[in-house]
Amino acid sequence: MQKKILSRKSLGIPYMIFLALFVMAPLFVLIYYAFTNGQGEITIQNLTGFFSDPNTLGTLCYSFGIAAVTTAVCLLLAYPVAYVLATSHLKEKSVILLLFIMPMWINFSLRITALKELLTWLEGNLAYHPFLNTVIGMTYDFLPFMILPIYTTISKLDGALLEAARDLGAGELQAFLKVTLPLSLPGIISGVSMVFLPAMTNYVVLDMLYNSTYIMGSLIGSYFASYNWHGGSMIALILLGIVCLFTLLTRGDEEETARGGVLL
Amino acid sequence: MRGLRKNVIIRLLSGIVFSLLLTFLQPWAADLIKEPPALPGEVSAADRREEKEVTLRVCNWEEYIDLGDWDEEETIDLDSGDVIGENSMLEDFEKWYYDTYGIRVHVEYSTFGTNEDLYNMITLGDTYDLVCPSEYMIMKLLTEDRLMPLTEEFFDSSDKNNYYINGVSPYIRSVFENNEIDGKPWSDYAAGYMWGITGIVYNPELVSEEAASSWKILSDPAYHRQITIKDNVRDSYFAAIGAIKSELLTDEQFVHAPDYQKRLEEEMNDTSKETISRVQDYLQDVKDNAYSFESDSGKADMVTGKVAANYQWSGDGVYTMDQADEDGFTLEFAVPRESTNIYFDGWVLMKDGIREDPAKQHAAEAFINFNSRADNVIRNMYYIGYTSVISGGDDRRIFEYANWCYGAEDGDKDVTDYDLGYFFAEDGDETKDYVITAPSDQVYRQLFAQYPSEEAIARSALMVCFDEEQNQAINQMWINVRCCNIHDIPAWVWMIAAVLIMSSVILVWKNYSIHRSGMR
Repeated sequence: MQKKILSRKSLGIPYMIFLALFVMAPLFVLIYYAFTNGQGEITIQNLTGFFSDPNTLGTLCYSFGIAAVTTAVCLLLAYPVAYVLATSHLKEKSVILLLFIMPMWINFSLRITALKELLTWLEGNLAYHPFLNTVIGMTYDFLPFMILPIYTTISKLDGALLEAARDLGAGELQAFLKVTLPLSLPGIISGVSMVFLPAMTNYVVLDMLYNSTYIMGSLIGSYFASYNWHGGSMIALILLGIVCLFTLLTRGDEEETARGGVLL
Repeated sequence: MRGLRKNVIIRLLSGIVFSLLLTFLQPWAADLIKEPPALPGEVSAADRREEKEVTLRVCNWEEYIDLGDWDEEETIDLDSGDVIGENSMLEDFEKWYYDTYGIRVHVEYSTFGTNEDLYNMITLGDTYDLVCPSEYMIMKLLTEDRLMPLTEEFFDSSDKNNYYINGVSPYIRSVFENNEIDGKPWSDYAAGYMWGITGIVYNPELVSEEAASSWKILSDPAYHRQITIKDNVRDSYFAAIGAIKSELLTDEQFVHAPDYQKRLEEEMNDTSKETISRVQDYLQDVKDNAYSFESDSGKADMVTGKVAANYQWSGDGVYTMDQADEDGFTLEFAVPRESTNIYFDGWVLMKDGIREDPAKQHAAEAFINFNSRADNVIRNMYYIGYTSVISGGDDRRIFEYANWCYGAEDGDKDVTDYDLGYFFAEDGDETKDYVITAPSDQVYRQLFAQYPSEEAIARSALMVCFDEEQNQAINQMWINVRCCNIHDIPAWVWMIAAVLIMSSVILVWKNYSIHRSGMR
């Protein structure tokens, strides 16, 4: 018995080493830089500086805005598709699903380059609509991450619940609103977190689609380019904090909805 | 059970510690195994021990050296012989070094994307022996005492293998000797590699030469959303100063003043508070007027016709115009009349890499020399499009190459003489030996970008390495330009956001209370 536990646990050692070297160690370096200044003294000035500079706060809002709009657009596009796909009786469902996932197999910068040409053809001059283009680019990039979890949750729904709702006199719409939608919330939430968080920092899309306003990712880059590792690390740390907060919040929600689902 | 867990943790920890040790001690252990470095006089002794190998860690710009593998038809047929890149320059160097000095050398080649990247890499622990940053970064590294001086042997012009000192252009040599930092001339520490100036690549059908010859084009509403500008603070700063001081810089009195060169450099490196705030205002206008700030896409966008003009380094300008030629349309290059930023990328030896190892230092300097040999210079220039600091000395092949690229064909009628004496002519030479008879449009095109006219060089200014305080002010300015200021977010956005947040809170709360009532 003892031996078994030991051997099973030791299977995790390679990953622990990986974790320690590439996740924990850099994190400590990050924390060290975030709370020191150029002279190596411990300071919280980087933190207060972030929250007192209208530019960094504005960038945070701008990133938030881009991420929120992208997430909303993704959700509006993805949900109907996932719903129709999951509830249909098509035989080739998996093929259609594959079509949605396939773009992910093509290199990301290649896809955005193609999109750039397409948008230029449509709009003429990309420089007039930087925000719109960014949202389009990010939606294009992240849509599969929204479709997949929603599809999975809906296709796992217990059909008996829907039948019960109908038996008790609910119409199509009512059944959808009261049964399907609440029960697919976990899928929506995991989709949202998979789109929202990367959309806040993915500055490559902005760069490639000629949006000259910084988002969080590019702001960190600019701090490092001006040798200000301390300020850059602090922003990275704050971003990490936001991600953690977001994850905690949605996880709490997930449990809540799961319980709620059972109660329904 | 407790004891067992402890055991596992100990095993785990020791595993981590051991692997950490392995990672960090590897280079040190490798040093131990290697033999001690030979002294300079002992090069011949090392000769006998063939197994000894010098490792040379080189870090260069991306795509900044010939990697060989040319097609047969790409052969450059000059009067003095053909030039073709069969193997990569690095392989050729290793072979040449062994044939010449009898020592095996292994080049570990890495690349960097920007000077700042390189600085961060070497500051955060990467070690290189030989790196190739731009002049301002060389100055920064020099003031931080991180560079090894070049040896006297490197400057010994009697050694025919010293291709650098025997081949470097007299013009470049004087720049490197006359510019000092901390009282030391650059040439003590740095050997030039490529150089160039900044300017505007433009489509002559959409933009006039007159308009493209001023930095003010960047904010010109006539070209709204049609011009890209470099996405880096130094280049943008220089252009902005050129634009806001345009009147002064083009004033006859200023231009003909006896201390013009000195005053020009002072003006272009002005970091007074007032100037920085004017630059910020100007760049904000540029941001609203330009197509975008770009770090890499400018060349392609010019060729695909997305933009009408773009701010470019001359070497990239040559590449862009070449590409456009292949696609069957014409682009031209203009150097703004206010001033142009002249830049040099140079090889420097890193103190913490060489660590006073004479074998390494010798190999590093030989690497510079090998890349300064006329045929290799041509290969690199052909491959990357930039202009080498080497003019060739007695070897005329580099001038022949320029002539091969841009000289007029026999049938051409509309030709102009283009004098490159300032770059190629040694003391004893007649400058008329270095005149290229080129098709007239080349005066505005590749030839001009590859070897700017003496007149354009006359209004060039170096951009110095700013100190920490100046850098901070300029970078803050840049962030002010590039970031969305929270005070600029319009009220309606706040209102929409407030409504959305409120409604989602209400929604969640309502759902929650339904569940709670369901529970009851």
